[in-house]
Amino acid sequence: MKHGFLKYGFLVVALVAALAPVYWMFTISLKSEVDHFAFPPPWFTFTPTLEHYYDAFVTRSFGQYLITSAIVAVVSTLFALVLGTLAAYALARFRLPYDLDRRLSLWILSTRMFPAIVTAVPLFLMMRDLTLLDTKASLIIVYTSFNLPFVVWMMRGFFDEVPRDLEEAALVDGDSRLGALVRVVLPLVAPGLAATAVFCLIVSWNEFLFALVLTQTDASMTLPVGIAGRVTQYEIKWGVMSAAGAVAIVPILVFAMAMQKYLVRGLSLGAVKE
Amino acid sequence: MGIRFQNVTKAFGNTRVVNDLSLEIADGEFVVLLGPSGCGKTTTLRMLAGLEIVTTGDIYIDEERINDVQTQHRDLAMVFQSYALYPHMTIAENIAYPLRVRKLDKQERTKRVNEVARMLEIEALLDRKPRQLSGGERQRVALARAIVREPRAYLMDEPLSNLDARLRVQMRGELKRLQHQLGTTTIYVTHDQAEAMTLATRVAVMKHGRLQQFDTPLNIYNHPANRFVAEFVGSPSMNFIDGKIDGGVFVSESIRIPADREDATQLTIGIRPEHISVFTRPQNGAIPATVYVTELMGNETFVFLSVGNNRLIARAPADFRAEVESPVWLQIESDKAHFFDTQTGLSI
Repeated sequence: MKHGFLKYGFLVVALVAALAPVYWMFTISLKSEVDHFAFPPPWFTFTPTLEHYYDAFVTRSFGQYLITSAIVAVVSTLFALVLGTLAAYALARFRLPYDLDRRLSLWILSTRMFPAIVTAVPLFLMMRDLTLLDTKASLIIVYTSFNLPFVVWMMRGFFDEVPRDLEEAALVDGDSRLGALVRVVLPLVAPGLAATAVFCLIVSWNEFLFALVLTQTDASMTLPVGIAGRVTQYEIKWGVMSAAGAVAIVPILVFAMAMQKYLVRGLSLGAVKE
Repeated sequence: MGIRFQNVTKAFGNTRVVNDLSLEIADGEFVVLLGPSGCGKTTTLRMLAGLEIVTTGDIYIDEERINDVQTQHRDLAMVFQSYALYPHMTIAENIAYPLRVRKLDKQERTKRVNEVARMLEIEALLDRKPRQLSGGERQRVALARAIVREPRAYLMDEPLSNLDARLRVQMRGELKRLQHQLGTTTIYVTHDQAEAMTLATRVAVMKHGRLQQFDTPLNIYNHPANRFVAEFVGSPSMNFIDGKIDGGVFVSESIRIPADREDATQLTIGIRPEHISVFTRPQNGAIPATVYVTELMGNETFVFLSVGNNRLIARAPADFRAEVESPVWLQIESDKAHFFDTQTGLSI
């Protein structure tokens, strides 16, 4: 009994700590502006209103930001997964001369070792010269390149777990290297792929710094930049920001829940006799 | 299909795993590559499959040089030691995989899968996943996946080594029947000399990457090319005694065996355990010995003997009884003896 109390006690504390800001944001998005600043705050008893949602998504361009965010996040995640998975497979399976497979892996990882802000100015100048400023393409390129090292390292670990015999069997059975990868290896690393995809999507969806530096126009702005833009010299639009924030959570939440069954599924069970 | 290895060498760094191997396998043969672990037999098989790159030399299938042909275009089928079943596919999908890759239509695929499943008696398993199968069942599935199409040759890498003893003997027999039925060239790798003897039309014995002898099982057993082959094939192993030949008699300490040979100062005689008869009473011309230990096998008894500093093993009938350290007398069938050069180990 005592044990159970402790266990649930900790769970409740952790849950409250994690969910309190979300609850706060969600209630703010539904409260009228007067209630925002009431003290003590009306925790549960207030008249809900959708005016901030209307303001954000109809009057202002948050709908546009949402679409931009979705396109940038999904496309960059797809690119990073495809490129990173192929690179990781090559690094996991082929021995390159001069120990290159190991060195390349480290070089790839090293691109994550400096603070992102260091590359902000160079990237801005590059995108300006390529006339890609204020385009979704610029963000897709940048996010893809930032997610790549992560994908390569994650997937490499998963590929290492898959017995080589399986691909060799597929090759002898008459499949091509790529066919063996797609039909035999990828299904076995699907849980890893799902976890990696969730992470990439979250990073791209929430990214703020580069979106701020590289995009200025309504048509190219992502949700995080759009939300932050409501903090202005004259006012802070808590309601609009909260409404947009509440909506921003939903896609990631749905995606992560959809991926959950892959995340927990066992890896290559029964592949080879232990 | 005929397969030919011509001066094939495989080196990993400075280590030559397979060294100057030349081997010609005729169409329809069942060739067993036999040797202890690390002798290069698996590497040889993998080179044939295209899973390892040949360092020097050439491999031909039907006179077509296949060194640079990619694995998937070699049209071979392989059974792996680990079985390498695809864990995410059902048994039916596993077996159909080689057909699916070759773009056979679904109807034909199902038909062929059902055929081999019936042949190997695994019809009931078709909807299961590999992890739900026992070792013996997985082995059958791996076999089914290999024979579902008609490849140029079957390659088998210790396919029975993960099975328990009883199942191993059973599957051994079935493999032999299957190959007889299909008549497809088969290359089979094993370190188990019993498998080699029972399955092969010809056995290639390897050691340290070098081919020691390539001959029929009977010739390997009766006429081993060197001491290694003589020792590796046969259970219990052949007895070896170092000695000399003096006036038509092999002499080593108290052992004297008539030998129709020229005098030699140093050579090794090899005698199989079944060519030594053990008697508990003195016999005319028999060699006195002491029982070290006896092992009753059920149908026969292995008698471990001391003759001076020499240790010998003899096969005796199951009813043979002798106490440890008791005196016995040996008769050796001298005409069945093998002679080896003590230095080189070569048969002489």
